[in-house]
Amino acid sequence: MGKKLELAVAVLNGAVGDHLARTGNGLATAMTLVANGRPLACTRAALAAAHPEASARIVILVHGLMCTEDIWTLPDGSDYGSLLARDHGFTPLYVRYNSGLPIAENGKAFAALLDALVAAYPVTIEEIVTIGYSMGGLVVRSACHLASVAAPTSAWLALVRRAMYVGTPHLGAPMERVGRVVAKLLRAVDDPYTQLAAELADLRSDGVKDLGDADLRHEDRARRLPRMSLRDPRHPVPLLASIKHFLVAGSLSTDARLASIFGDSIVPLRSATDGSCIDAATFALPPDHVRIVSGASHVALAHDARVYEHLKEWCA
Amino acid sequence: MSTRERLRGLRRLVEEAVEHGSKAVEDVHKATAARTFTVLEAIPPIAKPAKVVHTVHDLWLSGIYGAIRVGNKVVGKTLEVALDVSEDPGEREREP
Repeated sequence: MGKKLELAVAVLNGAVGDHLARTGNGLATAMTLVANGRPLACTRAALAAAHPEASARIVILVHGLMCTEDIWTLPDGSDYGSLLARDHGFTPLYVRYNSGLPIAENGKAFAALLDALVAAYPVTIEEIVTIGYSMGGLVVRSACHLASVAAPTSAWLALVRRAMYVGTPHLGAPMERVGRVVAKLLRAVDDPYTQLAAELADLRSDGVKDLGDADLRHEDRARRLPRMSLRDPRHPVPLLASIKHFLVAGSLSTDARLASIFGDSIVPLRSATDGSCIDAATFALPPDHVRIVSGASHVALAHDARVYEHLKEWCA
Repeated sequence: MSTRERLRGLRRLVEEAVEHGSKAVEDVHKATAARTFTVLEAIPPIAKPAKVVHTVHDLWLSGIYGAIRVGNKVVGKTLEVALDVSEDPGEREREP
């Protein structure tokens, strides 16, 4: 019951979480670390109690839209974090947040959380590996961007040397863009019923709206940016050169063209791989940093043994 | 966030949904009726009575939807009080 209730709250947060936060509603989820389904305070005592054998290398997992850390659970009860603890000695930490907030807001909160974590962690951290699923990957990128432009640069950023993105729509999610067009078309029709339908169609949280074009900063929402590679220095929020980036995408079809369009059913391959699968241009990531898991739907990517094999290899 | 805070949040969310939902339906209702009244108000012999009926109709609608919103607020307040009353004074301290 507890997990189902938390999931229901997470879905509500993803749908109208920006409104909940704005109105101070008790259903709004504040960004926090979680352990065994309960919030874990970012204090030395709480972290030491939750992780008595805390490792100097931590892996921090950030879930996606409308879900909780439970999305990571594999059928056998393990998850990417616990498996990396077993195989590579990482201490896994899980984040829960209000996915209906703008990605920029969650990025800011995540950066603050990492600041607090580095200060409170019971042992000196040597490395932070991030694993972001779907929207979670964009939250990680937003936080890294904020940390890189902050003065002085946040201490945790130097500890992040590897970032992994699982089914992350780096170039945006077309389904949200379709929703945006539908709402715009409905608004243009001068009919009270259609206007009502337009209002309903527009009842999407800021977080969902940000997914359309993967807007990582507030200012990006106001103007649509030309799609360009994330490694292109002209990109407003390029992938940081100081971090090794690894991308996993899902593909439900074996047909290259269908896979390119539909990808994992939510995120097209081009978006999840930053175009690497199509255009091996100058700015493409190294081929071994991008993996496509065939037959994996978007949801399944968060708890798929084949995905874990890639993460395990990259974390070695 | 404690269970009680979440319950309060849920109560508030339902109240807001009824409030905004009834306002949206009221607007559609009035706008739809306005189309017919606009036609009637353009016909000189019945323009004046049509305007009167239009005003009465809109007032009547406002009363109906307003009553729904008042009822909604009353139910919300009652639930809020019930939550306050049922709260064990020591519980807030125990909840994280």
